Amino acid sequence: MIEHDFDEEFVPIAAELQRLPYLSPSRDFADRVIARVDRLQAAPARALPAPASRHLELHRGGQAVAPRRFSVIRATGRATAGVALIAAAAFMFFEVDLLTAILSAATTQYAFAIAAAGTQIGTVVLGAETIAYLQAGAVQAVILYMTLAVGLLSGYTAIRTAAHIAKRKAA
Amino acid sequence: MPARSYTDVSDQQVVVYAQEGREDAYRELIKRYERPVFSLIFRMVRDRETAEDLAQETFIKVLNNIDRYRPEFKFSSWLFKIANNITIDHLRRRQVDTISIEGSPNAITAESARATAVTVTSGGESPLEELESRELGEEIEKAIEKLRPEYRACIILRHVEDYSYDEIAEIVKLPLGTVKTYIHRARQELRQYLGDLR
Repeated sequence: MIEHDFDEEFVPIAAELQRLPYLSPSRDFADRVIARVDRLQAAPARALPAPASRHLELHRGGQAVAPRRFSVIRATGRATAGVALIAAAAFMFFEVDLLTAILSAATTQYAFAIAAAGTQIGTVVLGAETIAYLQAGAVQAVILYMTLAVGLLSGYTAIRTAAHIAKRKAA
Repeated sequence: MPARSYTDVSDQQVVVYAQEGREDAYRELIKRYERPVFSLIFRMVRDRETAEDLAQETFIKVLNNIDRYRPEFKFSSWLFKIANNITIDHLRRRQVDTISIEGSPNAITAESARATAVTVTSGGESPLEELESRELGEEIEKAIEKLRPEYRACIILRHVEDYSYDEIAEIVKLPLGTVKTYIHRARQELRQYLGDLR
């Protein structure tokens, strides 16, 4: 029962409204509704073979090849490598002055210490031969290789994107 | 899957069974709400055939989207909301003239007019009381018929279905203040139409 929030004159009308009977639809109402509930009508079709996937699949030896899953480690590695390559390319093409200035100042003030520490660390991490190669003035060559790598990665990404779009259109 | 008894089972639980694909759960939901939903729609469109079509459309839409039901809301509120939307859309689309309680204006013969007329009955009363009640009930139906469809939905949900103002606002998708205004005006109009009866 609802609370009275109307004046006394409406009380008898409210009482009559509450007594209004429900009206019934036709007897076969429920059957007609059920006949048009897609979920229930689709149920007997469950035994039928599943319709072919709308996505393109790679088949090998008559069997669909499961798509490779991106592991977290691989994804992190790729992201790190990508950022490093982009940073190197930005440094090479746009000459990030701030980084240069910091490196110059550090090199000027702590040149010997940095050189000694860098050589030691580099020897441990990269190996003595690599350090010797870098010290021979091949830094530019490394950056060039990195730029080529960025180009390859970009090209690969573009091809994958194009293939994905083509797959979606074909589906 | 054997049919089970749904006595004392809440709407929410029946919905869960329906979501599992049990036909008897679908039928139970229809059984529980076909009359309230049909009555609301009929009192808005005043035509039995149209009301059946719209009620059918309401249940088909609700049952086909049963997975989207959010249990934090009352199932009946969700159902009435869809019923109201479908009916208002129909009235806007068709700009239907409301028909008389005595029968559809499209009825050609007296027989078809009787068939489309609303018969208001109530039980458990003496013949005289029943007759008076029936007369008053018919007068109320006529008075409701004269209200704007928006007022009809609000007044029926409030006084026939016992919904709170907040729930009505949710069902008819109108601000709370608008709902209160509609109900206030509907009461005033009903009082005017039924003034001679009291």
